[in-house]
Amino acid sequence: MVSDKIPSPYIDEVYEFQGLWGIRSLCGLKAIQRGAKCIIIVTELYDTNPGTTVTNWSAQLAGELMQKYNTNPENLIFIEHTPDRKSKLEVYDETFDRVSYTWKDGKFTDPKWQRLSKQEVDKLIT
Amino acid sequence: MKFRLIYPKWKKLEGQTTFNLPPHGPVVMAAAIPPEITVEFIDENVDAHEINDNCDFVGISMMLTTQIKRGWEIGDAYRKLGKKVIYGGISTMLHAEETLPHADSVFLGEAEGKLEKVFDDFKKGKLQNIYNYMTDFPPIESVGPARREILKRELYYHKGVQMVDLFHASRGCRFKCYPCAVAYLGGRQFRPRPIDRVVEELATIDNNRLFVVDNSLAQDTQWEKDLFKAMIPMKKKWCCHPIEDKPEVLDLAAQAGAWFVYQAVFDTSDYIKERVKRYHDYGIGVEGTILFGLDDQTEDDIKKLIDFLLEINLDLAEFTILTPFPHTKCWDDLIKQDRIFDKDWNNYNAGKAVYKPKHMTPERLQELYQYAWDTFYKDESQTQKMFKLFRSVISRELADGTYRGRREDLAGKSFGKKIVHN
Repeated sequence: MVSDKIPSPYIDEVYEFQGLWGIRSLCGLKAIQRGAKCIIIVTELYDTNPGTTVTNWSAQLAGELMQKYNTNPENLIFIEHTPDRKSKLEVYDETFDRVSYTWKDGKFTDPKWQRLSKQEVDKLIT
Repeated sequence: MKFRLIYPKWKKLEGQTTFNLPPHGPVVMAAAIPPEITVEFIDENVDAHEINDNCDFVGISMMLTTQIKRGWEIGDAYRKLGKKVIYGGISTMLHAEETLPHADSVFLGEAEGKLEKVFDDFKKGKLQNIYNYMTDFPPIESVGPARREILKRELYYHKGVQMVDLFHASRGCRFKCYPCAVAYLGGRQFRPRPIDRVVEELATIDNNRLFVVDNSLAQDTQWEKDLFKAMIPMKKKWCCHPIEDKPEVLDLAAQAGAWFVYQAVFDTSDYIKERVKRYHDYGIGVEGTILFGLDDQTEDDIKKLIDFLLEINLDLAEFTILTPFPHTKCWDDLIKQDRIFDKDWNNYNAGKAVYKPKHMTPERLQELYQYAWDTFYKDESQTQKMFKLFRSVISRELADGTYRGRREDLAGKSFGKKIVHN
């Protein structure tokens, strides 16, 4: 994998990754550098993701993107985003979760999610 | 070569009428096994199963999450006897990583056109640890009639009445519902079988009553109409998951033998009330499927919903508790929020609260679930309501000359076991 620093001002693209069992999977990707911190927001693409969800592949995806953007576990801020589905069901409202991991043997494991408000996310990236 | 294909037993929900239907996954899978292989099928839910070495190769087919622990137990026992064990089926796909330690091989995906290699590898002693065909779907035209001859038919009768046969007319689902894993298992593309192949299979089923197990037939109106038109001359009677409620579709469905449909009742809206009425207007029964425990639901909502069910003249109702099956959005959400407190897969039977609901305790959700069953079936029991629905199908069969009386030789048995009257 080619390692790059996040280009200025930020990355905003659809990112393809190999999910569980090597299945082609897609997510939205926003990445921004704030000082030494690399902030990565991955968005679950309900309708266009043919494969594994970002939550189901959280640790692997965080590790892959950390390597891609040439950062390290201490400087990575990894956030999972589910967009508003305009549903009357609350479970389809927009959410942001900051994920922390255990770093062991060169890999992320044991993800733990902490809910963030949109304002908290805005504060992190501005 | 003898391949022993096992369908593990599971604990049925307490207080509910138990029906053992002839399983579908194993007979569909068996159709893809090379014909020279002898298949011995054991459904542990109805059949005695002695774990012995009187077979060459063992397959374990698992559909439900509540089957997998028993499936692993069986696999471990056969492997101790030195037999190679392969797992497949949809709950194997949901729990593949956990299944690997209990397996010589795990098959992921749909079986058509793929099993020649598996059996060839087995014969050569080169069985692979994983056969990963998760997204390599076979051409849908290649899905032929299931191999129902492996079933021991007399085990699927209750008091001489034959249980419905399971049948599928399509795969995949374009919907991605909150608690459902079908998008992960069969992909988001709806893959209808060609009508002539469906008719070919229907003609092979020696049963006038069917359960069309497709997730939803309401995905392609023209195909749905063509399907029902083609089914009319076959005079089968069938139940299924949702169909479209357009008048022309309902009219054809009724002519094609629609007996009753499962309809999710998720709120107390006029939309639901009218939909149920439309089905009834065409002589199609409705079994409501009601899910409790979504984050929107309060205790009050659940009680109102139960009252509503009694108003809309459902023929039957089936209540379930939201269950976070792996590879669903429900699982993702509840894992993220650390709300799943029970990871014993035996409890993932849709009748037990295994997570913390948002607006009540798990215990309260469990009580409301029981309250729903008790209240809905208070004036007329589940058995009485089922009997009414059963009578409706008999009337239609008598009218079109397809009625078959019960098998008197099996009248004293229930799923192969002698009925003991106290």
